[in-house]
Amino acid sequence: MPGLLVNLLWLVGILAEAAVVVCALKKGAFRRYLLLNLYMAGLLFVELGRYRIVSQYGLRSTQFIYFYYYSDAILTIFLYFALCTLYSHVFSEMNAERYVKLGAILLLAGTALFTYAVVMQSTAKLLTHFVIELSQNLYFVGLVLTYVLWGAILKLRETRARLIQLVLSLGVYFSLLAANYAIRNLYPPLSTVFIPLVQIFGVFLPLAWAYAFWRLPEEARLVPARLAVIPR
Amino acid sequence: MSRKLVVVFLTMLVLVGAMGLKTVVTAHGDGSAIMANGAGPAPITPYKNGAGPAPITPYKNGAGPAPITPY
Repeated sequence: MPGLLVNLLWLVGILAEAAVVVCALKKGAFRRYLLLNLYMAGLLFVELGRYRIVSQYGLRSTQFIYFYYYSDAILTIFLYFALCTLYSHVFSEMNAERYVKLGAILLLAGTALFTYAVVMQSTAKLLTHFVIELSQNLYFVGLVLTYVLWGAILKLRETRARLIQLVLSLGVYFSLLAANYAIRNLYPPLSTVFIPLVQIFGVFLPLAWAYAFWRLPEEARLVPARLAVIPR
Repeated sequence: MSRKLVVVFLTMLVLVGAMGLKTVVTAHGDGSAIMANGAGPAPITPYKNGAGPAPITPYKNGAGPAPITPY
């Protein structure tokens, strides 16, 4: 079984995930951000399942390894589609939903094909390799898509505070994980510090989303940046 | 150029960018997984084979004797 601190962070994470769904339901935002909330609800159930498996079989068990990575791949696909719905929200006034859907399907198919091309050399357990690699590749696709969405939000001078909070927190979450991974591989002695940080990042995303649903009403607007160049 | 072609071009651009970024980030990687959905502890990556003792891999459980590794 993992240590006390690990369990404590895990519990906080599970509670934060439940808080996102509860806050969204309470504030009437569940259907508006349906896939985002379904992802969080799915994550909550998966986390409970993971906890049960760890308590029953242990952290190093094959059961946990398989359950973790297969559920992770499904969750990453969910997160990918949730991110695509954020695109639909940002581009809603441009009637670009059709093109967002087309792009999302094409990108998912392209990523899956690319992943298959990479792992097809594996002689054993091709499916496991494929599932884990697809999850990793989709993670990086999500990272790039979030930055592109940040750019679009800035360019279009988006003012919806809740939407901005959801996108920014997702961007920070993706960036923290990528930076953490890169740093701990560049400086392996620091792994003991950086590996536990991943758990804290896992708590950050549901907390930020719960805050967005609880504290920021749908009508809340931000003042656009005043740094635009004004011709004289 | 039609809008659909623009969408295809942009998706390919994003895919290339994402895989490029992955290459940069994991250039010095030990093969461990980067993604983490949720706050729970991550298990050993099934295909992590670092300098330390080999972890339990779910697809290396053949009954027969292991052959000599070519490297």
